[in-house]
Amino acid sequence: MNKVPESNFKWGYAIFVLFLLSILGFLLVGIISLFAGVDVESLSGNVALITLEGVIVGSDDSKFLFESRVSSTDAVELIEKADKNPNIKAIILEINSPGGSAVASEEIANAVRKTNKTTVAWIREVGASGGYWIASAADHIVANRVSITGSIGVIASYLEFPGLLEEYNVTYQRLVSGKYKDIGSPFREMTAEEKEIFQQNLDEIRDYFVSEVAKNRNLNKKDVDKIANGLFYLGVQAKELGLVDELGGKGEAIAYVEGKEKIKAEIVEYKKEEGLLDILGDVMGKQSFFIGKGIGSSLLNSKIASTISIST
Amino acid sequence: MKRLNLPKESTFIGPALLWKRIAAFFIDMAIINLIVLFPFRSLFQNIVPKDYSFSEAYKLLSSTNYSSFLTSASFIMSILIILYFLMLERKMSQTIGKMLMKVYVVSDNKELKAWQLIARNLVFIPIFPFVLLWVLDPLFMFFTKTNQRLSEILGKTRVVERYSLQQ
Repeated sequence: MNKVPESNFKWGYAIFVLFLLSILGFLLVGIISLFAGVDVESLSGNVALITLEGVIVGSDDSKFLFESRVSSTDAVELIEKADKNPNIKAIILEINSPGGSAVASEEIANAVRKTNKTTVAWIREVGASGGYWIASAADHIVANRVSITGSIGVIASYLEFPGLLEEYNVTYQRLVSGKYKDIGSPFREMTAEEKEIFQQNLDEIRDYFVSEVAKNRNLNKKDVDKIANGLFYLGVQAKELGLVDELGGKGEAIAYVEGKEKIKAEIVEYKKEEGLLDILGDVMGKQSFFIGKGIGSSLLNSKIASTISIST
Repeated sequence: MKRLNLPKESTFIGPALLWKRIAAFFIDMAIINLIVLFPFRSLFQNIVPKDYSFSEAYKLLSSTNYSSFLTSASFIMSILIILYFLMLERKMSQTIGKMLMKVYVVSDNKELKAWQLIARNLVFIPIFPFVLLWVLDPLFMFFTKTNQRLSEILGKTRVVERYSLQQ
């Protein structure tokens, strides 16, 4: 065995080690928080505020370059996260959306309806179409008197340009197996029969939309049907019609929650946390877009393609 | 000048007393918890609401939202703890707790090497199979003559103290 060393304990070195390790600890906590995308503030309040801003889409990507979009995947995840947190007593949805994908809107509306918490939709500038569908699923809707809301209806309009192709002596070679496989193709004119099929489907989606709003708002379906002509309503008109419960803003939404839950509201924002990899991916995505845009411009927009999407 | 014929003092080394080892360990863990793990403690306090019981906190941190974070955090905490012991014992054969309890880490060979110090602190790594040491290490310490933990036997180290004899 090695001999016992004489005590050569140095306090200076020990303090240096402690200092070094605590600095290292701070750095590492920061790094793992970035990589794991941990939202350390998300559990400190009792009222969750979830912002739904932009066109509603079904994809995971909530940002399209500089434009905000509402990803149903992210929105549902945040709503469920707030619902699972026993500290959260209510959820306020800050809605500023003109609508978007019918499927994505329904997914978010379902998530709102399924929560066991008090839910309030606070419509800001716009809460129309799919945005209103989501709002209707909340227990209480607050809108500004000049907010744009309603617009219950479905749209699937698209550009058709066979004439343009003809002008450039481009022909559309129709090769399909299945009579309706290229229904909605912008390269040929839609037949009357196809228009009829499309219209039936749109009507069906609209009918479902109306049923959902009537069910969510506890309204007569026939009454909702009468106003579901795609027209938008100002907040004050929507209040008269019964599409919103209260005119106001964030203060009114908070006051409702405090009254209902008998709490002093401490708002905590629930948002998708971006890890370091997300941020890097976002920057690289933007760079790639501009490089691609440059190349695309040089090719003089030689090819145009479009597909129909059904939006609320 | 004549000197008094005082009895000679001789010293020898032997296994450190168990209570001293345990006390040194708790002192070190208190210091680590207070200073080294402070950033992690404040982070967990932010995540877990104040009025949560231990089981509620465990349930929350085990949820899918935090599981990957918790795994990384616990792994990094264990590395910091190992670094505390490694850096102090390598340089001074003692940690703060051991210094206060006057016990030392020595090698069975000539000098303490880094791998030996890592081996004796493997118990802090929170993954299998090292977690088995949480049970085996204390058992070995209590039931071996030399009071060595299993990881000390593997690392060929032991904790000793100086005893003095007056002739």
